[in-house]
This record gives sequence, structure tokens and C-alpha cells, in this order.
Amino acid sequence: MTPAVTILRPGQEKILKYHSGRMGISAVPGSGKTWTLSYLAAKLIRESAIDINQEILIVTLVNAAVDNFSIRISHQLLAEDLLPGFGYRIRTLHGLANDIVRERPDLAGLGTGYQIIDEVEANRIKQSIARDWLNAHIDFFEPYLQYEDYQRDQLYENKNNLPYLVESIASAFIRLSKDRQLTPKALREKLDQSQISLPLVEMGIEIYSDYQDALNYRGSVDFDDLIRLALRCLKSDPSLVDILQQRWPYILEDEAQDSSLLQQEILSLLAGENGNWVRVGDPNQAIYETFTTASPQYLLDFLKREDVEERSLPESGRSTLSIIDLANHLIKWTQNDHPNPEARIALNPPFIKPTPPGDPQPNPGDCPSCIKLIERALSPEQEIRFVADAVESFLQDHPDKTVAILSPRNTRGFKFVDELEKRKIPTVDSLLQSTSATRLSTGAIANILHYLGDPESSQKLSLAYKVWRRAERSDEENWTFYKGNISLIRGIDHVEDYLWPGIAGDWLDSLQQEEKDPQIIGELESFREVVRRWQNAVFLPIDQLILTISQDLFLDPSELALAHKLSSLLRQLGDAHPDWRLPEFTEELANIAKNERKFLGFSQEDEAFNPDLYPGQVVVATMHKAKGLEWDCVFLTAVNNYNYPSGAEFDNFQSEKWFVKDHLNMEAEIINQLKTLIEADPFDWYQPGRASMDARDEFIRERLRLLFVGITRARKWLTITWNTGRVSNRNFPALALLELINAVEKKQ
Amino acid sequence: MPSSKFILFGYNSTMPLTADQEKLIKQDIKSKVFLQGPAGSGKTTAGIHWLTKLIKAGIPPHQILIFTPQRTLSLPYQNTLYQEEVQAHGPVNSLTLGGLARRMVDLFWPLVGIDAGFGTPNKAPNFLTLETAQYYMAHLVRPLIEEKGLFDSLTINRNRIYAQILDNLNKAAVVGFPYEEIGGRLKSAWVGDIEQLHIYDDVQFCADQFRSFCLENNLLDFSLQVEVFLKHLWTSPMCRSYLSQFYRHLIVDNIEEDTPVTHDILKEWLPDFESALIIFDQEAGYRSFLGADVESAQSLKDSCDKIINFEKNLVSEDGIRQVSLGINNAIARLKGTPQSNPEPSFEAVRAAIVSPAENPKYFPGMVAWVADQIANLINDGVSPGEIVVLAPFMPDVLRFTLTNRLDELGIPNQSHRPSRSLRDEPATQTMLTLGRIAFHSWEMLPERINLAYALVQAIDGLDLVRAQLLTAYAYKKSGSDFPLHPFEAIPPHVRDRVTFRVGERYDRLRNWLENINTQAELPLDFFLNKLFGEVLSQPGYGFHDKLDSGNTVAILIESIQKFRWAIGEQLVSDEISIGKEYIQMVNEGVIAAQYVQSWETGDEDAVLLSPAYTFLISNRPVDVQFWLDIGSPSWYQRLDQPLTHPYVLSRAWEHGELWDAEDELAASYQSLQRLSVGLLNRCRKKVYLGMSDLDVRGYENRGLLIRIIQNILQHARRETS
Repeated sequence: MTPAVTILRPGQEKILKYHSGRMGISAVPGSGKTWTLSYLAAKLIRESAIDINQEILIVTLVNAAVDNFSIRISHQLLAEDLLPGFGYRIRTLHGLANDIVRERPDLAGLGTGYQIIDEVEANRIKQSIARDWLNAHIDFFEPYLQYEDYQRDQLYENKNNLPYLVESIASAFIRLSKDRQLTPKALREKLDQSQISLPLVEMGIEIYSDYQDALNYRGSVDFDDLIRLALRCLKSDPSLVDILQQRWPYILEDEAQDSSLLQQEILSLLAGENGNWVRVGDPNQAIYETFTTASPQYLLDFLKREDVEERSLPESGRSTLSIIDLANHLIKWTQNDHPNPEARIALNPPFIKPTPPGDPQPNPGDCPSCIKLIERALSPEQEIRFVADAVESFLQDHPDKTVAILSPRNTRGFKFVDELEKRKIPTVDSLLQSTSATRLSTGAIANILHYLGDPESSQKLSLAYKVWRRAERSDEENWTFYKGNISLIRGIDHVEDYLWPGIAGDWLDSLQQEEKDPQIIGELESFREVVRRWQNAVFLPIDQLILTISQDLFLDPSELALAHKLSSLLRQLGDAHPDWRLPEFTEELANIAKNERKFLGFSQEDEAFNPDLYPGQVVVATMHKAKGLEWDCVFLTAVNNYNYPSGAEFDNFQSEKWFVKDHLNMEAEIINQLKTLIEADPFDWYQPGRASMDARDEFIRERLRLLFVGITRARKWLTITWNTGRVSNRNFPALALLELINAVEKKQ
Repeated sequence: MPSSKFILFGYNSTMPLTADQEKLIKQDIKSKVFLQGPAGSGKTTAGIHWLTKLIKAGIPPHQILIFTPQRTLSLPYQNTLYQEEVQAHGPVNSLTLGGLARRMVDLFWPLVGIDAGFGTPNKAPNFLTLETAQYYMAHLVRPLIEEKGLFDSLTINRNRIYAQILDNLNKAAVVGFPYEEIGGRLKSAWVGDIEQLHIYDDVQFCADQFRSFCLENNLLDFSLQVEVFLKHLWTSPMCRSYLSQFYRHLIVDNIEEDTPVTHDILKEWLPDFESALIIFDQEAGYRSFLGADVESAQSLKDSCDKIINFEKNLVSEDGIRQVSLGINNAIARLKGTPQSNPEPSFEAVRAAIVSPAENPKYFPGMVAWVADQIANLINDGVSPGEIVVLAPFMPDVLRFTLTNRLDELGIPNQSHRPSRSLRDEPATQTMLTLGRIAFHSWEMLPERINLAYALVQAIDGLDLVRAQLLTAYAYKKSGSDFPLHPFEAIPPHVRDRVTFRVGERYDRLRNWLENINTQAELPLDFFLNKLFGEVLSQPGYGFHDKLDSGNTVAILIESIQKFRWAIGEQLVSDEISIGKEYIQMVNEGVIAAQYVQSWETGDEDAVLLSPAYTFLISNRPVDVQFWLDIGSPSWYQRLDQPLTHPYVLSRAWEHGELWDAEDELAASYQSLQRLSVGLLNRCRKKVYLGMSDLDVRGYENRGLLIRIIQNILQHARRETS
């Protein structure tokens, strides 16, 4: 929630006086930083007379935020009688990098039509290369492993064990190499010159090299490439920097606490030495740092610079005083009393302040009893049932309130979804993967393609009919009519007698003879026409086939737009995989439909998720996805020492695999080996295990911030639970949770 | 009555001449005239009248040479000869630089074979098409990429690497510098990462290899044809005398779209002609990416006796001219160059530009808006042939969606694609799939579902359901036997379902496919020719009476034939099957199997969908234009190809000068100005602007063109108020 009318808080007022130069803003959760930045952008457009070829550049973290900004700035400009859509550009870092590379693709070694592959396709390539590499170097990992003989097959064959480990450590290696602008060739030269034995780097280079070859072969770049190539373009051509500085005279950067080294370098070049650059963020909400170069330290350092005006947005009207106290207590305890000294820098002031009297967004009335911190041990299954019971009861009492269940991981989230659906509690799971609207539309096309790949199947034809008439499902009475038709179609012996009747007679005639309702006959005749059209279209290229089908399936503009996007995606995949035919394309669509693949669609949910649109329903999301959002009632789940470790002896760490010796975190180890190679510091040799220990501390800190983010999602009701893990009694409540329980008890 | 084709191109010889045109036609028949003017000022119409004048004066048509940068641009002149009142006694000659070079090299081969350094000059030359040149390039470069790591720092599709090396060779030839300088020139302009520089050494290395290979094997790609002609024939008195005697009168149209080497040749050749008319379109130069050079075209002025200017655009109404003015002013403002032009009138601009009250958010919304507006225009009496829908590159998705929508509304439409991939044509797929069955020893048998698709296309009366049934029982992929079983070999209940009528046709096709190669393996093109002629075009089969499919098959056969001629000998000596190699190359995209569509097909009164540049080159004025996706940067950004560069490899570029983002921006402004003003010069009444907030990929585009339009309106409004 942000102020509905322009009554400014003191912090906002100071910020909106900005005209030029550098400004850094630290903002607490719920302080309305999106609103403030949007308002500032509109003010700058109005006051600084943006020229025909100029724009205010707004850089944010995720696509949903892009839409959020876009909506707010448009409203603001319209309110000021200015034309929306002009004078500003809102981009994620990847979007901005793409814009920069498109200016001079040749400097990046690309042609105009370069393709960007998404994470799923990139992972698919890495997976296959990593598997081949492992097969060719079967004994490579033996020195690192601990297992019993009987476990060997499980270890090597199960894709979640060693194959996954190879893929994930190679991914970490590739990401850091790209962050450091190092090609496989450059790394190879360095390694050849180096005297040190770095076996993991050797492996990393080989996989990285094969991966880049695979991308080159496809004429594609991945997301990490885009960013490093954008920086390369800027560094190569000073006149490009001049032009872009002229084009974007102001840079407003949101979520700056998650800024990476490359992001900072790119924006710094674009802003120029004395340019206008406003950075907003909350270092306490930095939750994307593990194995990336992102760090809240960049923002903290920026805030301390002499040429930077430091501002803050400390007031927040989002939560009750009790929830604010809880969040502030977590900061205080972490800073002063966390038993692990390395964790104490995780959270820092400013503390959250409630809004002043008269604020258009006052804090909800306090309700200490609305906070429930559950100390009782629950098994994972018990936790799911416990939360589902609590949600069910809450919604009965508060059917108009918004509710979220937040879990640390997608997989756990889906388990909650299953339970809620079993209980017929309305659930929204679109934040877990692709949105439900996207999945439904994609699934509809996939079902039709599925039929066209097996045109003789009456069962698949009946499913195609069901999909074609899916809009009628909402009317239960009407649906009986369609259900009858579905059964009729499923029962056809010979599909050709219906679709293409020949001498054996027309199946519809036989229905007529059976004196079936003429309305049914008419309906089936219409469907026959549609299916014939689809069958005639199977000879077209895949993109045109999808568009043909979508014209019969969709009316809604966003669904049609999605069909266009899917058709382009499949065409692109078809070009990359010339051997793909209908079955492979169908499978790809089915993956999206089954939620196995993130595909950004066009529905309202895809663009900017607004929890307030779902009162009385339960949104299930990961904690990461919940950032920037708020609900009346929030359940934070699985807050145990596995997901939120403190560094205690009995803590287990996710990145330390059961089959790897000495608690080594192999991702951390490979990165440390890579840094040893790159930095070549004669006083800082690679020591096995050291990086794994450092990674523990980094993870502990990030998880404290994640917990802070989770707590501050709640407006009034907050419940925190933990579970014992799959192996009984292995996990304990997170230390931070115990501390919060203590604090609440003391207060009471 | 003039033919409908003649009217299509917008040149109606029955129209009264303007004073400017009269002035040209009154020139002495022995004159050498340089005619310049903006698009739409009636230059080509005047050129046609000039041709008529020559013919009516008794000059034999074969002595007249029409010289254009591409063959289709000579069509209005050719079509003139069909007119009754012209009464030509034979065809005139039309040539392009490539056509001239090839014709002369072919004719004078014994003269040049040795001097040019060909390996076996006593054997006939082998002229390569773009496809076959690309094949050889791939053959040479692929191992260098895979084994030597050439181009390893580039992220582009390999087929583009081959194409860009060829493009560099062609540029060297048409711009007129030694091909050995390609790499050096590109390197000297490079501002990027120094580590990336080696790619230009790689380009040079591959170009050298390719040229040596061609010389050794008597292969002549376009660049070698032009170079051999220039170095060895154009300088030969025998060839020059032949040309001078053969062609006595010259008409050159669109000289600004031609290349510097063409301009050099024409400049030297001009004194030999009795008469010459050289037509230059001001504000054009759209083919600069192909080496067109406006500056060197202008230098031909000095070789003419007379310069005639056509001042006024006869096409556009005032509102459209005001929009042009606004665009020129806005771009001048962007460049920061002082301007003295008045601002256009707001009312006139607003009346000439139509845009939706609110942009639709999604791409299909834009398509729906465009289709509805076209329907309204036609209801209001605008002829469909007077409407053209333009986008910088008309992507397939856009074309397909719009075509469907127009079809639904019953609006006649035609789509022009400069080139089209045969791989996407169902008829091609059918022929090649059946080819893979007949040549089963190649071990490239198709997937079952693909065979089913092919049979549906091939056999009249066979539907997809029965085709699936048929292939499920009659097609066996394993083993070395012929993979299709006779109809009688499948179970009776399946035969009943497939029907005996289809079964009979299937058997005929199957038997034909089984027996065609029993004596000896036919070349693939012969095979397809026979398959089409003896089976598929017969009653009862899918291509009977289907002219479109017939055309596609003919182009496919021609493509294979050229492949066989150019490459066959080589492959046979390597014991590789030509047909199998062709299919593999098509599947890998090395051979795009693309064909250039002629404008000749477009003779209906139908709404035209076309890429903007293709439309510009066609020189066809219309009443209404739709500009789509006007937020897209494709309206001004050039196609960036990392291994070649149209500006750096042009004649005007000074060695050592760096190409940076400033140059890129200046080039963008120039492209946008040329393109938009060029389109407006070909528009009489209105321009409709279509865009959606998000493009087809979901990107938000706010490119230069849309911002310029906004700026024109703002300025015009400010001036008016």
C-alpha cells in the first residue's frame, strides 16, 4: 500500500526535492519506495524538459516490478496531463543489457538477430554437457566422495545426486567466470601458466567451453552473457557511452541492495562521473547474494560517499506495531547478540518506524495476539496439516482478508498447494512458477497438438473438444450438455467416420438415426469443422499451426498475445533443433502447462502480482517471490535450522551433500579455486574447506535477511512454524525463531 | 487498354505528360540525359515514354539496353513493349551488373580462363548460385571452425558466417577493391575489444581459401564473375567492341541503387552509346547494405550532355507532404543541425496520419485494428490495390495473422516476401519425404507422422486419420527392405477403414516409389520431376490441378538441379550421393532453398503486405499505407552482421577511420529519414500507424519513429497555436 493522495511524509518530501547529482536512499519494508521513485520520475519528466531522444532510465530487479512502475508512472503522468509511455524507460538489468547490446551487437560478437535463451534451455544444455563430462571422467570425483559400495549406482545414476552436483558446480563456475568477463580461452591460458593444481577449475573450463560452443552454435546468448556483453560494448566504444548518457540523463535504480558488481559498473558508466543517479534499496532485504557477485555492500558504500546525498524512508504503514517490533527485534538481536559473530552484520538499522499521525497510510490497529510463533515440533506432513487447518479456520473468520503461505522452496510450496486443493480451499500458486492463466492457455494448445500428433485417438479428440469448450465449464448446468458430448466423442470407434466420413457412413448420421438431440448434432458438426481446419494446418510451420489453433481457442487479448509469444518461442526452438517434430513441440508446451518451466506470459498475474486481488484465497509462494508483496495474514513455514542455520555444531547445510567428504560445499570450493586462479594472490593460496566454511557464514546471513523479509510481508496476522525434516528429530527450530519466541513471551 | 500489369506498377502511358516530362521527351534522340528528381515525380514514366520514342523512331529493340540494379525494376519497360501502340518488333535487353558479367564471362570464357588463373580453363566454367556458393563455403569453413577454432569468439549461426564471408567477397567486387583487403579494412575501423580483432583475420583467411578453391575448380561465384569481367573482359578490346556494337542506346533506372563498379563501367561505356537516359532518385539509396552508392551514382552527371530536374512529387497530397516535412525537421533537430524549413501545419498532419485513440496493449490488438481500418476503407470505396501494409521486416507471425484476419473479412490480399524458404512449403516437405522413402538406402527414413503428413498431401481423398492408420500398418522403418508394404499386406479391417479407393492410389504411388530406382539410382531432381509428372500431378493425387504446388515443385527441382550441376562432380568423386547431401544441407539450413519471388505475380486488386524496403524498391505509389510496429527500432537500425560492414567496405570510407556509435547513430537517422520519406513519397493520401504497447516477444518498444511522430505533432501543435 502506498499513499493514495499526495500527502508526503518527511522522508519522501526530502527525496522529492531532488534535482540532480547522486542520491542514495535506504528504505525499510513497506515505506512506499516504488511510489516515491515513480513520483520522482514523473516530476523529473515534467520539470527537466526531457528532449525527443531522452528518457529517465529506471532499473529494477524483476519483470513484475517493471509493470508496477509502468502503471504508477503512467497514472502519475496522466494526472499531470502528460502523455504516458514517453520520456521514461523501465528495465530490469537484463532488459537494459539487451537494449545496450542491441545498439552495437557487433561489438559483442553478435548479429542483429541473436537469440536469448532462457534459464530452462540454458540448464538443459548444461545438464547434457555435464552428464557427458561425468561419463568421460568417471573417477574424477572419487577423491571427494564418501559412500558405501551399495550406494554407488544411486550416487552416479540418480540425476539428483552426482550428475546434479556436476551441473550445479559448473553453473556456479560459469556464472562467476562471466561475471569476471573471462572466456574459457582466457581461463585456459591462465591455468596453463599457473603452477597450482586446481582440478575443479580444470573441470569448470572444459564444461564452460563446451557450453559456450553450444550457445555459439545456436547463435544464442544466456542472461549472464547479456550483462557481460553490455559492459563490453560500453567499455569498447566511448561514443556509445556518450550517446547513452545523453539519452538517459537520469538513472533511478530500485532494489539497489541486490546490485551486482557488473550492474554497478554498467550504471556507473551510464551515469558518468557527474551524472544523475538515484539508488534506492534496503540492505536488510538483500536475498540474492549466494554465489553471485550481488552484495548490499555496494549500496552501503555508495551511501557513505561524499558526493552522495543520503536519504532514508524509515516510516512504514504496512504492519501492526507488534509485527514492526518483531522485525526490529530481529535486527537488534542479530546485530548484538547472535552467537555467531560472522552473522552479526547480516541486518542493520535503520529500524522500521510506524507512520506519523495523519499519514494517508496509517498502520493497522495493533494486535499482539495475532502473532503466533509455534515452538512445537512438527513433522513436515504435520506442519502442512497444521498450517492448512489454521488457514481454513482463518478464512472462515476473515473471508475478505488476504493470506499467504510462504515456504523456502518451490517443492515445499507445491505440497501446501496439494493439501489446500484437497480441502477445496481456493489457492493461487502462480508465484511458484508460470502463472495459472499462462499454464491453462498453454495447456489448451498443448492438448490440441497432442491430439494432432495422434489423430486417430478418440480419447485425445474428446480432450481436444473439452479444451475447445472450456469456457463453458463455469456454468455447471450447461456443462452437462458438453460433458455428454465429451463422452460421445470418447466412445467413437473409428474417428475417421466422424471427421472424414467415407463409404462406411457418417457417424453423425448414426446419431441422428438414434434420434439424438439436434442441438448435439449441430454442436458436433461445428467441432468437426474446427478439427478439420486444425488437421489441414498441420502442414504449416509450427508457429503458424499454433496461431491457427489459437484463433479457435482464444478470445481474450492476453491469451492471443500469449499464443503469439508461444509460436515465436517454438519457432525459435525449432530453428535450434531442426529435428524437432510435433511430439517434441507438444512436450515443450506440456512442460509449461505442467508448471515445469517458467514462461512469462501476458496475463495480469504475469505482469504485476497484486495480492489484494485475491481476498479469501490462499497465495502459496516462496519467500523470495514474496518480496515486495504484502498480505493481511502470512504463514512462514519450515523455519528450522536447516533452512535458517545459525552456525551451531548440529546445523546441516543444504549445499553440503551427504556423499561429499569433510562437509565440503563443492560450489564454494570451485569458486574459491577459480578466484585463486584469477586473483593469483601469492599470500592467499587455495585451501580445501575454507571456502565451504565461508559459504556457511554467507548463507546464515542471507537467511536471516530472508526471515526479515518474510516477517515484514504480514500486515496483521503472522504465524511462524518449523518442521523436523524428513528424518525425524534431525532439524530444530531456527535459533532466530527461538529468540523471537522469547522476545514475544517477555513482552507479554 | 494497357495491361493490368502495366497499371499495377503505376505507370500508365495513357496519362497526359507533365511539363517536366514533356521537356525530357522533347530532347534530341541522340541526347545523353541525367534525369534526377524525388520519388513520385514521374521519372520512370518519363523513361518509359523515352523508350517508346526510341522504338517509334525505328531503333531495333535489341539495340536498346535497359540497365537496372535488379531485374524486376526493368519490368515496366519490358511491359511497355506489350502495348499495341508501341509496336515493338522484338524484346529489348535488360541487364544488371551480375547478368552482364555472367553473360560476358560465359561468352568469352576461352579468352579469360587462362588469364584469370582457373585450374582447368579448357573445361566449361561453373557458375554458382548463392545457394551453391554457400554450400562450398560451408564445405571449406566448417572444418576450420570445428578443428581450428576460427570465429570462436562469435555467437552467430554458422550459416550466417558462411553468408557474411560471401557478402564480403561480393562487396569487394562491386565496390571495386581487392578482396585481399577485406580483413584489413574491417580491422582498421574496429573500436571494440582487441581480442575480437582476430575474427577479421579469420574472415580474410576463409575468403582467400574460398577464392583459391573456386579458381582451382572453375567455380565462379558472383564476386568472381564480376571480378573476371572487370579485370579481363571489360579491359579487352574484343569484348568492348562486342558490347558497343550490340547495344547502341541505354536507359538506366534507379542508378542510385546500383554499385560503384557499375557506375565506373557505365561512365566508361557512355561515350560508346548513341543515346542514354540515366534516372536518379533523390533521397533514395535503400540498397546501401548491398553496396549501393549514391555518391558515385551522382558522378555520372558529368558524363551526360544534359541534366534535367523533376522538382515535384506528383503522388502525395498536401497532408502527406507536410508529414514528410515534419520528419525532415524532427531529424534535423535530433542531429542538431540548423533548419530553415517551416513547421508543418498541425491540422494537415493530423488529417494525414491516423492512429488508434489508445494503443492496444498486445500485438494481436494491433493486427485487429489494422484489419478493421482496412475493412472501413474498402467500405468507403478505397480499392484494395490502393492499400499496402508495411513493416520493417514482415515477420511470418505478423503476415500469417493479418492474412488470416483479412481472409475472414473477405478482403482480397497478397503478401510479398522478398525470399521464401522452400523448407517451409508443404509441397517441398511432401516431395522430399517421399524421396527419402524411394531412396531408402540413404538411411534417412522419415518419422511415421511425417510420412502420414506427406501421404495426405500426396493422395487425393486421404485424410490425416486414415493416413495415420495406413502408416501404422504399412510403414516399417527397420531392415533393408523397401519400407512401405503393399495395401493388401495390411489387415483387412484396416483396409476397410482406409478405403479401397485410397488403397489403390497408395499402391500405385508405393509401387512407383519401389520400382523407380530398381535399374539405377536416378538423380534426385530427375526423380522428383518424374514423381510429380507421372504420379502426383495425375488425377487422384494431391497436386493435380494445383498450380501453386506445381510452381513450388518446379523451384525445388531447379534448386536441386543447380546443386547437382555445381557440386555433383565433386560429390561423385567423393562417392557421396548428391540427393542425400542436398536433403541434409536443406535440413541443416546450409541451403536455405530460398527463392526470390517476382513482383509479376502481384497483378490482382488486393491489399499488399510487404516489408517496407521491398515496397520502396518496387516503385509503386498507393493511396493508403499502414506502417506497423512503429515503436520498433527495426525502422532505422541496420541489420548488424559482425563479419561484414556496408559502410566500412564502401568506397567513401577512409582506411583507418573508426566506426563508432556516433557513426551508427548518424546512419540510423539517415536510414529512418530515407525510409520514412521514401514511403511517404509513394503515398497519396493517408498513413495509418499501428503499434501495441508490447511487441510479439513481450518487449516494450518506444523507438525513434514513434517518438518523432509525437514530436512532429507537438511542434506542429505549438506552431499552429
